[in-house]
Amino acid sequence: MSEFNNRIAAQRHVLQLVNKKRLGKEELFGLSSKAIERWISVNFINPESRLVQLVKEASAKLFFLANKSQEQISDEYKAIANEIAAITKAIEIELIQPKC
Amino acid sequence: MHIYAFGSVCRGDVSINSDIDLLAITDGHDSRFDPNHYSIYSYKRIKELWQEGNPFAWHLALESKLLFSSDQNDYLKSLGDPARYGNCVGDCEKFYALFCEARTSIVANPDSRIFDLSTIFLSVRNIASCFSLGATEHPRFSRDSATRLEAFSIKISTGAYQVLESARMLCTRGHGSNISTAEVNIAISELDEIDRWMDNLVKGAKSHERI
Repeated sequence: MSEFNNRIAAQRHVLQLVNKKRLGKEELFGLSSKAIERWISVNFINPESRLVQLVKEASAKLFFLANKSQEQISDEYKAIANEIAAITKAIEIELIQPKC
Repeated sequence: MHIYAFGSVCRGDVSINSDIDLLAITDGHDSRFDPNHYSIYSYKRIKELWQEGNPFAWHLALESKLLFSSDQNDYLKSLGDPARYGNCVGDCEKFYALFCEARTSIVANPDSRIFDLSTIFLSVRNIASCFSLGATEHPRFSRDSATRLEAFSIKISTGAYQVLESARMLCTRGHGSNISTAEVNIAISELDEIDRWMDNLVKGAKSHERI
């Protein structure tokens, strides 16, 4: 799979984890900052919560990769892809907590 | 530092849904530019895109306007034309694969359905732009490139197309009304047709490459 398609798949995975929890009346549509702001606002989610921090972190990492040059991809991409996987796991764990 | 506008505002192809695409070319990190408002590239990356003949390089070469230059020069113009676009088949296959993944997901999992519709819109738009650049005389980079390919234009209902476009707006700009299940189903009903259309573009790109 291409790096571009991998990023889309990673976004999809995060969205499915978050939306599975049914946190409010509207799902998280995407990981753009505006989509995240809408999700927080419409569903009255605490913007300071750990979940929001993790979602924003995943967003930042994914969009950071978008402008990387090919030669940087091999090492840096792998490192950041691992970080995204770790953040995704952290989101999964966060959503298991009863407070959400 | 160089700042450009590109896309719809440069084509004069504006609508109520148009945003203004801005490109900032900088040396290293520049905290003055918000990545939510600018596409931010280094000079090195821009040169690479030019050398690759990347579709984004062609988009900028054909549809950008200089807004600010710290050295009084038009940097993109000084690069000349990008290299010949040689990856049309690979890119068309990539976006067809992206469509297939989104299609599989939307059927299997309801928890990312709007994102999947948005991804389908992205794949439709991008395969059309790549095909137009690599296999026709008229590169189309607009949001509606898929409907502007003359004989190769996508043939789905306006309603389904609008649902896909609305999903894209929700996912990228967080803007617009939520999409109902009925509307989702209107778009899903056209997925077979979109699949056939994309498959045809991939075949067309391969056929053009052999010429």
